[in-house]
Amino acid sequence: MTLTGFIAKNALRNKRRLSLSVTSVAVSLFLLVVLQVALRELTNPINDEGSSLRIIVRNKVSLAQPLPARQLQVLERIPGIAAITPFTFYGGLYKGDEKFTSFAQFAVDPARTLPLITDAKVPREQLEAWLADRTSCIVGKMTADRYGLKIGDRMQFTSQLYPADLEFKIVGIYEGTADDRNVFFHHKYLDESLGNPGTVGTWWVRAASIEEAPLVTARINQAFANSSAEVRAESERAFVLGFVSMWGNIQTLIGGISVVVVFALLLVTVSTMSMAIRERFRELAILKAIGFRRRELFAFILAESFGLAMLGGVLGVGGAYLLCNSLDIQKLSNGLFLLFEVTPRMVGFGFSVAALLGVLAAAAPMMTVARTSVVEGLKTLD
Amino acid sequence: MALPVRYSFRNALVRWRSTLATVLGIALVVFVFVLLQSLAAGIEKSSGNTGDPRNILVVRKGATAESASLISRENFRQIQYFEEIARTERGEPIISADVLVLINLPRRNNGGEANVLLRGVTPRGMELRPQVTLVAGRWFTPGKREVVVSAKLARRFANFDLGESFKSGTAQLTVVGWLDGGGSAFDSECWLDADEARAIFERDMYSSFLIRPKDEVAGTNLIARIENDRRFKLKAEKEVEYYRKQTMTAAPIKWLGGFLAVMMSVGAVFAAMNTMYAAVGARTREIGTLRVLGFRRRAVVVALLIEGGFLAFLGGVLGCALAFYWNGYTTATLGFETFSEIVFQFRVTPLLVIEGLVFAVIVGVIGTLLPAVRASRLPVIVALKSV
Amino acid sequence: MIGRFMAAEAEEPIVQIRELFKVYQQGEINVTALNGISLDITRGEFLTLMGPSGSGKSTLLHIIAGVDRPTSGSCHVQGIDVTALNESELADWRNHNVGFVFQTFNLIPVLTAYENVELPLLLTRLSSGERRRQVQTALELVGLADRQHHLPRQLSGGQEQRVAIARALVTDPSLIVADEPTGNLDSHSAQDVLTILQSLSRSAGKTVIMVTHDPKAAAYGSRSVHLEKGELSN
Ligand SMILES: Nc1ncnc2c1ncn2[C@@H]1O[C@H](COP(=O)(O)OP(=O)(O)OP(=O)(O)O)[C@@H](O)[C@H]1O
Ligand SMILES: [Mg+2]
Repeated sequence: MTLTGFIAKNALRNKRRLSLSVTSVAVSLFLLVVLQVALRELTNPINDEGSSLRIIVRNKVSLAQPLPARQLQVLERIPGIAAITPFTFYGGLYKGDEKFTSFAQFAVDPARTLPLITDAKVPREQLEAWLADRTSCIVGKMTADRYGLKIGDRMQFTSQLYPADLEFKIVGIYEGTADDRNVFFHHKYLDESLGNPGTVGTWWVRAASIEEAPLVTARINQAFANSSAEVRAESERAFVLGFVSMWGNIQTLIGGISVVVVFALLLVTVSTMSMAIRERFRELAILKAIGFRRRELFAFILAESFGLAMLGGVLGVGGAYLLCNSLDIQKLSNGLFLLFEVTPRMVGFGFSVAALLGVLAAAAPMMTVARTSVVEGLKTLD
Repeated sequence: MALPVRYSFRNALVRWRSTLATVLGIALVVFVFVLLQSLAAGIEKSSGNTGDPRNILVVRKGATAESASLISRENFRQIQYFEEIARTERGEPIISADVLVLINLPRRNNGGEANVLLRGVTPRGMELRPQVTLVAGRWFTPGKREVVVSAKLARRFANFDLGESFKSGTAQLTVVGWLDGGGSAFDSECWLDADEARAIFERDMYSSFLIRPKDEVAGTNLIARIENDRRFKLKAEKEVEYYRKQTMTAAPIKWLGGFLAVMMSVGAVFAAMNTMYAAVGARTREIGTLRVLGFRRRAVVVALLIEGGFLAFLGGVLGCALAFYWNGYTTATLGFETFSEIVFQFRVTPLLVIEGLVFAVIVGVIGTLLPAVRASRLPVIVALKSV
Repeated sequence: MIGRFMAAEAEEPIVQIRELFKVYQQGEINVTALNGISLDITRGEFLTLMGPSGSGKSTLLHIIAGVDRPTSGSCHVQGIDVTALNESELADWRNHNVGFVFQTFNLIPVLTAYENVELPLLLTRLSSGERRRQVQTALELVGLADRQHHLPRQLSGGQEQRVAIARALVTDPSLIVADEPTGNLDSHSAQDVLTILQSLSRSAGKTVIMVTHDPKAAAYGSRSVHLEKGELSN
């Protein structure tokens, strides 16, 4: 029998303890990875090329304050702007939803919007149908799938923001954008139902190039400075990050709680594992009596603890990976989460924690082994 | 016949070194659970604590919050003279048409920006909200660009100290006073003159009406009358009812608390199980002796369950104590309904403490069940012979 | 002395063992621990069981005490066949009829001497006052009334064993069994323990069965029985 064989035999001897230890490591690491995934999803907006090209222009007072529609003429003259459309968040509650609708609806100028959603794949005839019909809309594929919608269906909304309840006819279904959930419809349609107030929610702008994007942002802000409706222009990404910062303390709190959660589980796991090793104290003493040196005993303890932790890591991190990648998280979380992706960095982090765990769990028993003499060890029977 | 309870207690305590990690683990699970629920309770309490039961609030049908509601001046003229509305001595109807505006302002210490709810309020509206008191400075002067901010918000936003001013839209607003909402949703508002607000933010419409009906019956009639009038498209309900329903923000926090508690309790049950397996394993012969003395299996199982439950209970107490440390601590987040910063306090309610403790004991008992049954199943003779 | 002996003779034996077998099956091999033992033990006797290691002494004792079950044969104690009782009946029976003294004392470490002795009484209907009196009496009998609030680890081995004896006799059982009670004790403490057991049988009329390796200890008994490979040898 080799020493490795001896280690394996020993670890496998108490199957119940082994499985409990491995499972608790696995559960902690699973939770660790899932929390990270969720936190990333909530705090880190999607970052594709388009989102740094696109700029959102809102009223400086706040997002809820409308902008005058006449600003369009000024905006159109600003150099570096490739495309621009009114972009108004309609805030509709989809018929049948109780309190909360998981997708957004935007009133836009369809003809002007096409250059802004270049990554959206829509058949040409559907686009033409959209441009032609004032009461029509196009729907993201995720939303269409979720509600079982198809072309020709009608969607009814009650707006939580505007005194205008609207009904749209679906003429197109798009996919391929970073967020295939939204509904786009004619701004004119909204204007008419509100009695043409001459306002828009925000402007959606596309810069001609990435290099020019920051300049365009500055030019827009400059153009309306000291006017009756000052604006705040920022990249789409900065805009979304602004939302995250509004969460305020909750964000910190949830971050802090994640740390507590992980700490609690690690604490428990470390103690479990050192208990498992301490239980075999007598054997270690016997090995010592036979002539094994301290260093070899350390290696022996470490190997077992490390092996346990790694096995737990494989199960926990692997489980999280499989779960996050196979589940239809969008459906499950009611549209709150979109991607729910386990990145290689998280996998790496998970395994580093597992490794640390293996070392920490070995520390306590190693210290005792170092301190105890053979005779004492043999006497720890009772 | 049962074993004495002190047998369980002393055994739980005598091995405190090896059970410490388990107790702490359970404590942290309970801590996270109670803390998150106390956050949700705080949000619910702050909105549940808002309003005067006599008042009726009118907003646009379909609007989730006052700040997202728009009501025309025509509607105001129509409703103003309804005979259900109480009148002052001078015969004026007690109704306040408020304007709510969200403004984006910087936090203190470069903490980013957030939306603040600005309420343009009439003198009548201030009388209708006796919960709100002035704690520093003075009230705004009608016709001037002055604002009274919530003292709790003042601690969080830049330029909110008395005498300071901030720019919003075309206007420069000066902070002349601090208000206190008495733990209600008004703690998350800033007040200024209603006409001034409409001028600055170019609002032709109102956001909401707050009405004092003549009496209870008149109130019920008024609600029915406004709701049924097809001209209006308005929603009328008791002010307290309206606020009580503003709990959307609390829902995901509750959900998160529950989710984490379930996930963590799996780990905690394993920990308890391991601890008790070890404890029971080391005491096999002792358990054999008890059986020889005539104690039945059930007595042994019960004694061990009490031991495990007691350990977990200690953890629960510790966890609740940790959470209680935060009780009353003021914090804030983005309110889902108002879309503005809402201020509230952690509320560790007695019910939450009980829930936390029960939760802990359940974890302990579940974790102990298998080891206890296993120990009691062992034939007496085997138990006696074990070393 | 003779009178007492005669009276006991006339009585039905307290323990009646008939054709007792205990076979341990270990894979292919059968280990016969008890090979057809028949034995009567009279009330008030102090019986010592002797024999080489592995001869089946402990096994026999365990069966008499209702802790283990034989493969076949019967064992009547005070007219009751203990081999026919089920688990919980046995538990009650042990509580009322047998006091057990172990080689390794087996006191509950977290309970004081007093509480350890009181433990079996918790299974009875006695009031706390009666319990206190009985525990006091038992502790006085073993000469440890002054150490009742000490934990086992605060007592010497001999004292621990005396507490264990007190625990064995506190329910006033008619039968006291002891498996090498002096095995872990120095000769002085052993003497104390043996004297107590002897006086229990002589003056309190208890039946004492004791396993021992030590002929000096066996001399305290009123009768000695030898086991050899699971059979009685004289
Ligand atoms: N659980 C068991 N499984 C298999 N064999 C057993 C078991 N328990 C006891 N034996 C065997 O039964 C025989 C009698 O054992 P017992 O314990 O009664 O001996 P003993 O006379 O008390 O010896 P000692 O003086 O060493 O205590 C021995 O051969 C022993 O190996
Ligand atoms: Mg023996």
